[in-house]
Formats: sequence, C-alpha cells, structure tokens
Amino acid sequence: MIDLSDLERDTITELINIGVGRAAASLSEMVDQSVELTVPSISFVQRFSDANLIAAPTEVVSAVTQSFNGPFNGDALLVFPEKRSLELVRRLLKVDVPLDSLSDLEQEALMEVGNIILNACLGSISNVLGHPINCSMPVFRKCQSRDLMPDIYPVSRQDAETTAPFLLILHVQFMLREDDIDGYVLFVMDLDSIQTLKQMVQRYLAHTLS
Amino acid sequence: MQHGDKTPPEDTNAPATGAGFPAGSARTKNKTMEASGKTADPVPSHANWGAELYLTLLDTADIGVITIAQDKTIMFWNKWMEKASGHKAANVIGQTLDDVFGHAIPTRLQNGIRDCLTLGMPAMISPSLNKAVLPLRPLPQFTEKFPQMQQSIRIQPVRTTSNTLLCSITVRDVTLSVQRDLLLRRQAAELAELVTKTRRSEDRTRAILQNTIDAILVASEDGTLEPLNARAQELCGPQGDPEIKNIIRFLLPDSGSNPPPKPPSDRLLTDLGTGVIEILACPASGYNIPLEVAISHFTAYGRYHYIITLRDISQRKRHELEIQNTMQELENSNAELEQFAYAASHDLQEPLRMVSSYTQLLARRYKGKLDDTADEFIHYAVDGTRRMQRMIDDLLTLSRVGRHGKPFQPVSLAGLFDAIEANLQRADAAPAGNIMRAPDLPEVIGDPSQLLQLFQNLVSNGLKYSDPEHAEVRISAREFDNFWRISVSDNGIGIDPQYHASIFEIFKRLHGYGEYAGTGIGLALSKKIVERHGGNIHVESAPNEGSTFHVDLPKDHSVL
Repeated sequence: MIDLSDLERDTITELINIGVGRAAASLSEMVDQSVELTVPSISFVQRFSDANLIAAPTEVVSAVTQSFNGPFNGDALLVFPEKRSLELVRRLLKVDVPLDSLSDLEQEALMEVGNIILNACLGSISNVLGHPINCSMPVFRKCQSRDLMPDIYPVSRQDAETTAPFLLILHVQFMLREDDIDGYVLFVMDLDSIQTLKQMVQRYLAHTLS
Repeated sequence: MQHGDKTPPEDTNAPATGAGFPAGSARTKNKTMEASGKTADPVPSHANWGAELYLTLLDTADIGVITIAQDKTIMFWNKWMEKASGHKAANVIGQTLDDVFGHAIPTRLQNGIRDCLTLGMPAMISPSLNKAVLPLRPLPQFTEKFPQMQQSIRIQPVRTTSNTLLCSITVRDVTLSVQRDLLLRRQAAELAELVTKTRRSEDRTRAILQNTIDAILVASEDGTLEPLNARAQELCGPQGDPEIKNIIRFLLPDSGSNPPPKPPSDRLLTDLGTGVIEILACPASGYNIPLEVAISHFTAYGRYHYIITLRDISQRKRHELEIQNTMQELENSNAELEQFAYAASHDLQEPLRMVSSYTQLLARRYKGKLDDTADEFIHYAVDGTRRMQRMIDDLLTLSRVGRHGKPFQPVSLAGLFDAIEANLQRADAAPAGNIMRAPDLPEVIGDPSQLLQLFQNLVSNGLKYSDPEHAEVRISAREFDNFWRISVSDNGIGIDPQYHASIFEIFKRLHGYGEYAGTGIGLALSKKIVERHGGNIHVESAPNEGSTFHVDLPKDHSVL
C-alpha cells in the first residue's frame, strides 16, 4: 500500500496546482474568456471501484488519455460525464446551439483541453523533479465509466495488492461563465512508478529543505 | 502518422528518425541530406537510398511537416508547407518560425514547441480553440469564406539516436471540416428556431381551441368523433350527454351505409333543412342545454373531415321566450285597450246623446225667454256636447282602425286621389284646381278605405291650413328600395319644429277651437293607419313655409 507523508502529499498537490494554474491561464487566453480551474481534492486509491467516479458505472463518459513514461510510467486521463464534456466544450467555444453529440471538431477541442491540462500537470512534476517525461499524443474515448480501465477488471483479491495499478485522482472544477463543470484527472500508475515518484519527491524535498 | 501514440525515445532503429535526422548537428546535416536527396546520386549507398525514400515520402505527404531543432530553428519543411505558406524550404531552413512568419505565431504554438523541446511533451492544437495558428493559404475553394487555412496541428517530441530532442510539427488542413461544422451548426440553429416557432404557434392554437366557449369536435370519414376542446370533452364525457355523439352522427351529411337512427323529436329543436340546426343536450349532470350546431368540412392528408361546432344558446333561447311572452302580453293589452276605447266611446254616446238632446231642447224652447246670461250658458252647453259628440265619434273611428281593418290589396293612388277630390268638392271644401298631383302616382298595397281616410285627412289638413287666397296642395310619390314615399305638401302656415312629434298625438291641437275646425284626431288617426300598414309618417315644415307630410308605405307586406 502506498504510504505518503503529509509533506509528500502536499508537495504533489502543490505541483499539480501549479500545473493546473498554468493550464487555466493558457485556456483563458485561447478562448478569450475567464477560465478558472481548481483542484478541490486529491486522493490515492488502489481500486478503481473505490473512486467516486465509478458511482454510476453505466454513465457514459468522455475521456482524453495520454500515456507517459520516463522515471515513472502510466496513463493520465481527463474524464467528464459526456453531458458535462459537451457543456464544457460549448462554453469554451461559445456555441449556442448544441448538437446531440460532440462533432469532430468539438471532440478535437476537448482533446486539446485534455492535452493542456494533462501536459501542465505532468510538465509541472517533470520540471520540478528535473526529469523529462515522455508523453503520447492524447486519445479520445467515449465509454461507460466502468469500462474506462477494462484491463483492471477482473482482478482477484490476492493479486490486487501487487499488480493492480494505483490511482491518483484529482477532482477538477472548471468555472466558466459563472458555472461550475466538474471533471476528474486520473493518474494511473503501477506500484514501481508510485515508488519512483515518491523517491523523487523525497529527493526534491531533501534538496530544497537542505 | 500524426496520430502515432508515442515515439520510443531510445529506439535507435527507428528508420524515420534515424535516417532522416541523424544525430549531431542536425541542421547542417539535414541540409546535406536534402541536397543529396534531391540531386541524383550516381551510386546511391544503402543509407542514401533510405534517406531519399523517406524524404520523398515526407515531401509527398498530404500534410504539412516541420521539424524544429533545439535552438528553435527549422530543420525540415516539406513540399506541402512550401505550397501552403508560400515559403520555399531553402529559404526557411535555419530560421525560426518567428523569422518566417514575423511575430504572428500564437503563444499556444510557441509554448507547445517549448514544452516539447524541453520536457518532451506532445501537444495538439485544435482549430476550434485556436484560430488559424499559422498564416497559411486555404485552398482556392475556401478563400471566399476563410482568409486563412483552418489547421489541426500536432506537436511531437522526436528523440534522435544521440538523445537530442527535436520537435516534429504536423499540420492538417481541416478547412472543409470547419466549413461543414459551421453549416451543420447553422442548420441546427435554424431547425431549433423552427421547432420553437412551431411549438409556440401550436401552443397558441391549442390555447385558443381549448378556451373557446363553443364545443368543437372533428369527425373523420369513418364517423369517429373526436372532441377537440375542453367544452366538447365535457359534453361527450361521462358527465355529459351519452346521446350527443349519435345525434351529431345523424346530422352529418354522409353517415355511411348504416345511418344512425333519427334522434327523438324533443332532441331536435329545429326542422332539418332550415339551415339552422338546434339540438337539445341532456347532460348526465345539470340542466338541459339547447345547442346550435354548425358543420363545416376540410380535407387533410387526402381525407375528408367535418368540424362540428356546438354553441350553447340557452341565453338566446331564454331571450326569445321572453320576447315572445312580452309580445303576447303587448298584444293582449292592446286588444284590451282597443276594446276599452270602443266600449267607452260606444257606451258614453248614450248618456251624451241624452244630455245633447235636452240641452238642444233647452236652447230651442227657452232661447230669448230667460235672460242673456242663461242664453249664453245654454249655448256653451250645446257647443260642448257637440264637440264631445264629435270626439267620441273620432275615438270610435280610431279604435276601429285596428279592429275593423280590411285585407290588403293593390290600390291605385291615382284612383284614390280622384275619389278624394270628388269627396272634397262635394263637401265644397276644395275649389277646383288647387290640388296638384304628380302624373306618375304608383299603385300601393293596403286597405283601400283606410288609405282613402289617410290621404283625405292629409289633403284636407293641407287645404285647411293653407293660404286662404290661393291654397295649394301638391301630391307626389318617390320610389325607394323597399318603400314608396307619398308626399302631401301645402303652402300654409307651417308647423314649428318643436311640435313635429306631438302633432301626431291624439286630440293634440296647436290652435284654439275658434281658429281652425276639428278635434285634433286627424293626424293621430293617420299615424295609426300608416302603422297598421307597416309604414311611417313624418313631417317637414317651418312656420310660414308650408308643411310636407311624408308617408312611407312598404312595397312588400310579406313580413306582416
């Protein structure tokens, strides 16, 4: 089980907040309107089913995924319930007449939003920890929330402790035109990667505190 | 190509990166590569052959390919980019994007390149969130609507064998997609507006229909009746009249092969065929309601429908009944009044005759035998009884107009006035030649003796109140749409307009008994005769300018 000290947890939260702040500034400039992005909560869970996200397993979600590797490996996902993702894109694009589902271009816009946020989070970590992280291009998926990580299921209880990936879940809130749109950023990493991240955070803390 | 998931950074065998961009001074080497790729090498080595193939592939790709070195200078610029930007590869290699396009490069692209070169982060730049990132020319078919090409850009880190991080930019032309999206959006907006409008108009129509007081139903060809509004549902519903649908079906012009049975006669208030259909609805709850039925039709989707409107006419029926009752009462009271007038005048005659004969006897026997005052008193008594006698006679005549009228028949006015002139001459009341008649007097419909009485009255009135020297009475006729106007004019003393209405009242006199003879019943009698004929009488006059009496007699008496 992952065991982070308060200081380590705060550091990761801080790094992510810096990244998210950058992403918000970047988005605001692009869409020429105020975009505020906050991360009200960060949590680590081991089983995807532990996440609040899976409360409605059959809910259709839009997900932008980027894989990363380097000192630590995994997948980063920006996840919205489909309706909220439509709402987000349309507010960003200032579209008044909604279509039933995301058009190609709207989907691409959502991918870019995901790309900006995920890059910002990963970039912030990478920058501070002094290690480049290699990322893949974002991929868009629309699926039921329980199918977000199908490879996790089914996992036997015994194996779960060692093989199941860890989830770093960030609850993100977009504030656009006086309305909140809630989504999630998930970092899915295996145990080794989490340990590496932890070590790097410790090294960074030792360096900055010394 | 632009969707490649990831570029393995340490993959030394990756042919594109390995062959196209060998490690070391990427910029100079690349230039060499390009040169060697374009000038035909007489004996191409295996490495050169590979380089040439990949360069050709990149050059012929249908996307823009740019490679940026660590120092942000351009290392590679394919044919597609040359065409879209108007800048030849030879002129841009070694320059930065800012150098090539001026400072028109948005921050998003600059940050993307920076993050890619420093952190190895890929980026995608979508056309919706970013307007025309690179100033590229659109294809000719789009130039009218799009001054710049709409682009979808991917920025990807590329790691060379010597672990140098390069930035690969691919540019896709998505102008067509953007155009299609705009079109789709506009159509969606139009559709949404249309739906809103239709819905609003539908709501309005429904509200009008629902709130109409009349019950409205629609019947289709097969005889199915559908209540359209609340009132109709009420009438046809469980609290309504169970028979109403059958009655309506019976009233429809074509009720199919098996017409419903004729409803009981107390349900049909009017005879069919009169144009107005009135029925009686007997709802399960409450009072019976008389309804007026109107049936119209329309054709929709090739099928024939009837619209049935049921109007509650309880109020009207009540009024009709009230009017009928009032009329009856009026008739009764009129008849009673006439009866009274007749009886009174008739019965008064008997005692009056007694008074009259004895006062006359007094006058004959005792004139000059008593004193002068007594003679005078007796004279007044005799005169009074004579006048009363005449008034009672007149009253009798008046009451007879209604009671003893003869049936109407065509009456020639020319003949009528001949008779009047003869009567007047016999009574020595009319000097010859002072009654002037228009030549074209028509034939009217009426009671000949009453018409004679009427016009003789008017003519003799005219003569009576005329200039005694040269009295003149003119008779003329004028035709109107529905009536004849017969006018009798004199050149006499005239009547002040304030008396024009009152002169037709019974026993109304404008002058003392000494001045002009008569009881004052003449015009009242004339008015009564005219009214019996469904006509009108009025006067036009001013003092000393003569008077004209107009009698309007209807041409058609069918309504009477």
